[in-house]
Amino acid sequence: MDFIPHDKETIKEMLEAIGVKSLKELFQDIPKDLIIDKLNLPSGLSEPDLLFQIKKISQKNKNYSSSFLGAGCYYHYIPSLIDFVISRSEFYTSYTPYQAEASQGYLQAMYEYQTIISQLTQMDVSNASMYDGSTALAEAAIMSTIITRKNSVILLKGIHPEYEEVVRTYCWGQNIRILSTDEEDLHTKVKNEIAAVLFQSPNFFGDIEDISKLIKNVREKAPNCLVIQVMTDPTCLGVLNPPGSTDIDIFVAEGQSFGLNPSFGGPGLGIFTTKQKFLRKIPGRLIGKTNEINGKNYGFILTLQAREQHIRRERASSNICTNQALCSLAALTYLLALGRNGLREVAIQNFQKAHYLKKELSKIKGYEILNRKPTYNEFIVKCPNIDALINFCKQNNLQPPLKLSKYYPEMGNIALVCVTEMNSKKSIDKFLELARSALNSKKEENLK
Amino acid sequence: MNSNIQSIFDKENETIQMNFVPKMDIEQTNLNQIIPENLQRKDLPIPNVTEIEIVRHFINLSNKNYGVDTGIYPLGSCTMKYNPKINETIAKLSDFINIHPLQEENQGCLELLYHTSELLGEITGMDGFTLQPAAGAHGELVGLLIIKKFFENKRIKKQKIIIPDSAHGTNPASAKMAGFSIIELTSNEFGEVPLDQLEFALKEGDVAGIMLTNPNTLGIFDRQIKEITRLVHQYGGLCYYDGANLNPMLGICRPRDMGFDIVHLNLHKTFSTPHGGGGPGSGPIGVIEELIPYLPKPCLFSSEKGIMCNNNNDLSIGRIKAFWGNFGVIIRAYAYILALGAEGLKKVGEIAVLNANYLRVLLKEKYNLPFNRICQHEFILSDQGIPNEITTEDIAKRILDYGIYAPTIYFPLIVPGAMMIEPTETESKHSLDNFIEVMNKIYEEARTQPELLKEAPHNMPIKRLDAVTAARKPILHD
Amino acid sequence: MEYKFPNDLKYTLTHEWIRIEDSFAIVGITDFAQHQLGDIVFVELPEVGMAFERGSNAAELESVKAVGDLIMPLSGEIIDVNKNLTDKPELVNLSPFIDGWVLKIEYSHANEIDELLSAEKYKQFVQNEEK
Repeated sequence: MDFIPHDKETIKEMLEAIGVKSLKELFQDIPKDLIIDKLNLPSGLSEPDLLFQIKKISQKNKNYSSSFLGAGCYYHYIPSLIDFVISRSEFYTSYTPYQAEASQGYLQAMYEYQTIISQLTQMDVSNASMYDGSTALAEAAIMSTIITRKNSVILLKGIHPEYEEVVRTYCWGQNIRILSTDEEDLHTKVKNEIAAVLFQSPNFFGDIEDISKLIKNVREKAPNCLVIQVMTDPTCLGVLNPPGSTDIDIFVAEGQSFGLNPSFGGPGLGIFTTKQKFLRKIPGRLIGKTNEINGKNYGFILTLQAREQHIRRERASSNICTNQALCSLAALTYLLALGRNGLREVAIQNFQKAHYLKKELSKIKGYEILNRKPTYNEFIVKCPNIDALINFCKQNNLQPPLKLSKYYPEMGNIALVCVTEMNSKKSIDKFLELARSALNSKKEENLK
Repeated sequence: MNSNIQSIFDKENETIQMNFVPKMDIEQTNLNQIIPENLQRKDLPIPNVTEIEIVRHFINLSNKNYGVDTGIYPLGSCTMKYNPKINETIAKLSDFINIHPLQEENQGCLELLYHTSELLGEITGMDGFTLQPAAGAHGELVGLLIIKKFFENKRIKKQKIIIPDSAHGTNPASAKMAGFSIIELTSNEFGEVPLDQLEFALKEGDVAGIMLTNPNTLGIFDRQIKEITRLVHQYGGLCYYDGANLNPMLGICRPRDMGFDIVHLNLHKTFSTPHGGGGPGSGPIGVIEELIPYLPKPCLFSSEKGIMCNNNNDLSIGRIKAFWGNFGVIIRAYAYILALGAEGLKKVGEIAVLNANYLRVLLKEKYNLPFNRICQHEFILSDQGIPNEITTEDIAKRILDYGIYAPTIYFPLIVPGAMMIEPTETESKHSLDNFIEVMNKIYEEARTQPELLKEAPHNMPIKRLDAVTAARKPILHD
Repeated sequence: MEYKFPNDLKYTLTHEWIRIEDSFAIVGITDFAQHQLGDIVFVELPEVGMAFERGSNAAELESVKAVGDLIMPLSGEIIDVNKNLTDKPELVNLSPFIDGWVLKIEYSHANEIDELLSAEKYKQFVQNEEK
């Protein structure tokens, strides 16, 4: 199947109008030996055959009924109206809104996205989106080196390991030095030569940091060093202090939790916010509100474009062009659908349900919760027989928690467990039952 | 007339909305015991709005937005082709959308990624692919980091990238992000890379590579392409192909055969995935065999056990995005390639070029065509010689009045007052004829009623906006 | 297009004007340059006390669709910047030679002054550029 409307007659007619004899002639500039005869690909498929073939591939995945896996990608409930809104063709088949007059609908929505993100985070400005949380963090690191004209950043322990790798790749590109440290040792590393301290909260292991204290520690040592926070599940902002209530300079997050399916990790949404004074250094698109030149209406427009690559070229602070517009529309719709009551309730349920599992799990002999700080919907637990637990989960159609050894080989018996509002009490109790069985299975092994 | 749609933040009402949260089924602990009160926010200023208000709001907004499904979208270098609906159905299969990126039973996803890489390899001639990059510019950065790593590993110091002045702005910006400095080449009178200048720059030394778009942003296939890539290789550089304009080459000729070592593709341009109003996109990178070890992590390979993932590659540039790339976008491109097959893809290339040349020949009767040659997928008109000092912007705004989206304007920068027109293969002759008729009408209006153009648009929800005040005193949220 | 070329100023090929006053110089962009850029929306000023070589970028002027550099016409140290431009970048358009001045520099090499253009020479240069 193809999507080309011309029949042979039309093609002939058009060739005549152009003044060439054949389609081949249109490629006369291409050296003859570069022209290929035919791609070595299968023939095209009809719609039903295509659907059948790809569906078969999709069924090789396992689609669990309930999940205890998070680690940067979360199962939250997605209201039906979100898919309905983002499936409007007028939105999803449009390009970047270069012609403002023909794009007012989307521009207004993007402006409303910036507004709701500002409300949620209490940060001064939000851009219109980045690719995802990891690249948003990397770009934040680069932005800090441009603002401060310093060339080193500090990564605090507890940043999502894949995010950390992304930051390292981006920084290597620009020869930015990276130092790693933990909270205890931070004061020895922070100096005036440092552009920024990057940290995650709630961090990869689930700990919620005392941000005001952390900022104070940094400022005391180096007043001009920026502090950058990243978050992988911002639904916690339904309850937690917004970053803008502290003195955070740049706050970034992965917005997948706001109405986007896991979809094997992408597309997600990079949320990027900062203080007003750094506005002109922010990467990515910004939508502004302004008036008609000769009229009374207001409207929305891409603004501060002189920051961006299509004007500033090699002097732009970032090369980003395409962003995740449709995902920001989904996030806006999600936050509106939930509203302040709904988002708070989601956050409370995540706190409560994870707490319930944490509490009950710690009562089982052999399981030790390792978090010393408060946690949101994730926590780490030392397991007596982690492989048995994971296998039992799989056998019972529960998506098992993450084995931390995936990223930290030395943490072989530690699991990162995630519980959201989607986990029913029944599924949590089942998990507890499996945790007990895993213990017994270990005993049996020991007896042998 | 006030046609503004009320802000959603003014539609607040005090309903307690809990429709989207499951019923709490566990016994609750006092929240302050779980999370200290001083870490809890005092207020949450996002609005409560009812579902019907939200739905109406967005439907009304969508009515003030133009997409490919509305009509022809002749934005040059953007390849605004039809987005097949079956791709949406497939991308929303529950066994794809519910899959967690870190779960172990993911063979379906890995297989799809691996197959897509193979298909893209055949289409471009490249030996290995990564589907990690989330957009074209992201792919460019990856490609340039591969170049950087390649020379670092060989302990050869090379710090410059050659880029012609007709290039997309992302090229120099990406080169800069990878730590390179830029040598800009001035295109010749055919919009091609001047070989003497190229060789001069190469002789200076320190050149890591060249970034080229071919056909270039003028829509012209560089006839010297083989000589260009040969020269760059002769001086020890690598050749990077900006795939933004690959559409007319589908099934006709391949970047690898032109001599390129690295290519990025825009799945959201060439392979029909929707642009979504500016994203999400996907910008896979293809490389020759020698560069495969430098691809970002994780790398996929096929084995007896199925598709596997390799994370332990010392030469890799590292990770450039969490997880696996924009998988949901990749599914759509995969479906598109399978739907079209070899014959369909070739037809895409041919008809994209046919449509562009048809417009070019019929529009040059009235409009100035700075490069009067057979074009590929797009071509440039300029506002030179249009009566009454009518500018490209005036024309663009007037086009909107006729219910058509405007071409890319004022790009490439090397043609003053450029209008860059790319119709794509999915437009019918009827649609093209209508566009020509509108353009001719506008030319007549420029002659007889210039004020009509200078004040355009007249039929849109708003008139021209004050971009200057917007940038001087930015208002970025309510 | 008619542009102003005040006679009492010196000029550069990169469209800066210079008013020499004893040991320091006041620098801005010319009437021609501000026309080319269009409505200035933002001026990024250097910090006072920074020193620049002749020919390096000392300030940036942004319009909606372009970015222009102010290039140091003389080597020296920045001793003052026009802070009014932060809130009113349009001064560069309204009054490029008076209220729209950008930098005050203490120049370090007096001999560089001789290499600057006269109003007459600069005018000729612009007229050639226009063609």
